Amino acid sequence: MSKTVLITDDTAFMRMTLRNVIEKNGYSVVGEAGDGEEAVALYKELQPDLVTMDITMPKMDGITAIKEIMKIDSDAKIIVCSAMGQKPMVIEALSAGAKDFLVKPFDAERVVESLRKFGS
Amino acid sequence: MQEAKLDFLKELANIGTGHATTALSQMLSGKLFQLVVPEARLLHFEEAARFVESLEQVVVGIFIVVSGDVKGHMAFLLPVDSAMVLVRLLTGDDSGEVNDMALSALQEIGNIMITSYLNALSKMTDLLMAPSVPGVAVDMAGAIWQSVLAGAQVINEVTLIRTEFYADGESIEGNIIFLPDEDDFKKIAVLLGLGEG
Repeated sequence: MSKTVLITDDTAFMRMTLRNVIEKNGYSVVGEAGDGEEAVALYKELQPDLVTMDITMPKMDGITAIKEIMKIDSDAKIIVCSAMGQKPMVIEALSAGAKDFLVKPFDAERVVESLRKFGS
Repeated sequence: MQEAKLDFLKELANIGTGHATTALSQMLSGKLFQLVVPEARLLHFEEAARFVESLEQVVVGIFIVVSGDVKGHMAFLLPVDSAMVLVRLLTGDDSGEVNDMALSALQEIGNIMITSYLNALSKMTDLLMAPSVPGVAVDMAGAIWQSVLAGAQVINEVTLIRTEFYADGESIEGNIIFLPDEDDFKKIAVLLGLGEG
């Protein structure tokens, strides 16, 4: 059975781009969240194997969402996909529990490599 | 003093816009971008209001508020024709319509370009420059530009950086405009050993 992924990004365009890359590589996208709040609610409901997480989003940002998801499941596999690649932000995301940090624009290969590494 | 400040601005513009267009090129894999040397200007408020040419031209504007160690405002303005070329190159949609997916793609292009610009400056200075969620609007250039200046609460001088680039034989013009808060701009200048700039 293919691994399940929850995509989190505030732009529909980036959710579509990620969905294409992820599905093409044999993973199953079970949900799409447009902000951190939705991501936390969908994580509870869907219990995906992997989560992609944007940082700068309305309502609840990605860092807060990572912390909230880690409270629900300390084994959550969250991969950050954000344009905001500045050192303090990367450190904050990783300390909050993210497993990897991909800076947009990213290579499709880099996304797949991270999914493989943390989804196994 | 003014000369040194403008030189410094041009260097920041070069680095920031260089990273922004590199990011765009990566998004459009295989598309080569020719970057025209950026123009950096330091203008008084009244001059700044007239900075954007063709005020009645309809443009797409993407804007971001910067917070953290350096605060300010950034805007990416491009004529609708250029925006539609980008949408076609990125999504394959050649309808020329500014539909929801086109706007979403443009918002993400603007976000990635502006944030890449900030990431480059952050790396140079070790100062955090955190972007807000981007806003996007389609309107006359004058209307969008006025709302950017109003949001930035420009009182005296404003730093403006204009860039132009081309892709795939088609002209795509865009302005990336950075308006750092004056005190924070000095902070960057001091850190890079340029005194008061």
